[in-house]
Amino acid sequence: MYTLRDMDVDVIVVHGPSGCGFMASRSLEQAGVRVVTSAMSETDLIFGGSDRLVETLRTSYEMFRPRSVAVVGTCASMIIGEDMEASIKRAGLDCNVFPVESHGCMGDNTQGAIKALEAGRDAGMISAEETERQIGLLKAATAMERVSGLTSKSYLKPAQGATKLRVCRKICETLSSGGKVAVVMNAKKELAYRFSDIFIAVDEARRKLGGSTFFVSNTDIEKGLPRIRKYSEDIMCQLKEKNIMVDAVVGGLDEYAVIGEKMRVEVDRYSPDLTVIVGICHAYPGIGENDILITDQPRQLSNYLNEGFTNSVGEISSHSMVMGTQRIIPMETSETLRELVRGL
Amino acid sequence: MRRIAIYGKGGIGKSTVSSNVSDALAEKGSRVLQIGCDPKADSTRLLMEGKAPATILDRVRNGSMTLSGSVHDTGRGVFCVECGGPKPGTGCAGRGIIAAFSHLEALDIIGNFRPDIIIYDVLGDVVCGGFAMPIRNGYARNVFVVTSGEMMSLYAADNIRQAVDGFAGDGYAEFSGLIQNSRGIDLENETVDKAAEEMGTEVMFRLPRDGEVQRSEAAGRTVIRNAPDSEMAKNYRNLAEEMLRRSEDSAGGMRLEKNINEGK
Repeated sequence: MYTLRDMDVDVIVVHGPSGCGFMASRSLEQAGVRVVTSAMSETDLIFGGSDRLVETLRTSYEMFRPRSVAVVGTCASMIIGEDMEASIKRAGLDCNVFPVESHGCMGDNTQGAIKALEAGRDAGMISAEETERQIGLLKAATAMERVSGLTSKSYLKPAQGATKLRVCRKICETLSSGGKVAVVMNAKKELAYRFSDIFIAVDEARRKLGGSTFFVSNTDIEKGLPRIRKYSEDIMCQLKEKNIMVDAVVGGLDEYAVIGEKMRVEVDRYSPDLTVIVGICHAYPGIGENDILITDQPRQLSNYLNEGFTNSVGEISSHSMVMGTQRIIPMETSETLRELVRGL
Repeated sequence: MRRIAIYGKGGIGKSTVSSNVSDALAEKGSRVLQIGCDPKADSTRLLMEGKAPATILDRVRNGSMTLSGSVHDTGRGVFCVECGGPKPGTGCAGRGIIAAFSHLEALDIIGNFRPDIIIYDVLGDVVCGGFAMPIRNGYARNVFVVTSGEMMSLYAADNIRQAVDGFAGDGYAEFSGLIQNSRGIDLENETVDKAAEEMGTEVMFRLPRDGEVQRSEAAGRTVIRNAPDSEMAKNYRNLAEEMLRRSEDSAGGMRLEKNINEGK
């Protein structure tokens, strides 16, 4: 469904039980996508839910007058072999309606996203070229998660999590002593709206404390689907308003899985005393024990800590905060840094 | 209460056997509940003698589910239920069986009709979890499989045996033997006996091929009712006796396990 949002689909109809995907639906609603459900009942499961789907499609069309509608399968509808295409034809809506034959038992979660991309391509929502690019990126992301998952390590060093205060002190100490701090944001799509706040806070710290900074981010406004480019434009524009320059823009917000090496090259050229990595940190090769890692995923955090990266902190529930925003949202680590800097 | 499931390949005569056994048992004073578990809803047609009961799932669908409306009382000790299901090619018939059972339980069919014997007449092979429902969760305790000497029918019988054995570890139904519904093919008895041996079971009864079955069928009634003095009627009565002898008698509700657990 997030993939469909990225393609700027106006309405998503989930063909399944009313509870199916409701968590994702709510945050997608905040991001401006209308998400409705055919609310299959047990009777629909037994007798088939095509009437219910046709009705839902027609109601949605009357209600929202969308240009595009995607019908997304669920475990329930796909197990009973619902013919969503036939229901779409029967509904006869005067707009672009297409089915996404995905369900929860397809393996990697990116499989569903790939199905959505292919369906979007067939429906003329995105070009064949962009579809191929996106599928490549998704496969790279899946492979990356597998390599850097918990099960990939034979040795897990006992570790304790850092407090935000501790990592912010490290940043302050480095800058105060005239040191060089590199900040790398490798954000996954909309999460950039929160992670990019680190640039603002570190920039303020540098102005106040001295030292130097080097900022790298994956906010290339020429990469990805229009919606994703818009995120990058928003962020770059808002940073510019605050006179903050990103020193190296490497890749787009959907390229987090494949740009780690290039980011590393940029950072090495700067040879910093301290590196702060935010977002999909494990995509960045050769993370050092002293590096500061900031992630929004609690499981990823314990993964980092287990790997011995003791300066890892979590910005938990960032995702729900960024859904639907167009502005950079303050991050706890940044707020801690600001307090430290202003109090000094 | 006996809890009996009758399985077998499609068209092998499960419904005819079930209905005749039901009538034979009722004749001797038992209260028999026959539950058809097939979306075609044709298990009880010989018992109903021309009437077609509203199926459980149709009633659930149109919101008119009541026990009295869903259980047809023949007035002679046989009660008929058809689970029903979707039209071919849509929805999920297996889920339908599961849902129909839970509706029957919720309305306390056992408490209301107090049957001595429940006979589940189940569609063809065990194709998915829903059609295994009578074998599972304490519904049926004894599974009988109707087969002829034809290979496809024996393969189906073996599939059902595998399903029953697969659930055995969970304390569910047991495989209680093959009912040979003879087709009159060469060496039929020997073939079925051999297959039974390979399956680790036995032929608990042989029904001969008899024109009376088709004649009664054409009259829309069971042999027991249509030709009560015929040789075939005697066969069905003997089969009914043998099934009773081979099946477990247990108190409790529709789901045995559930009642045992509640009693603890």
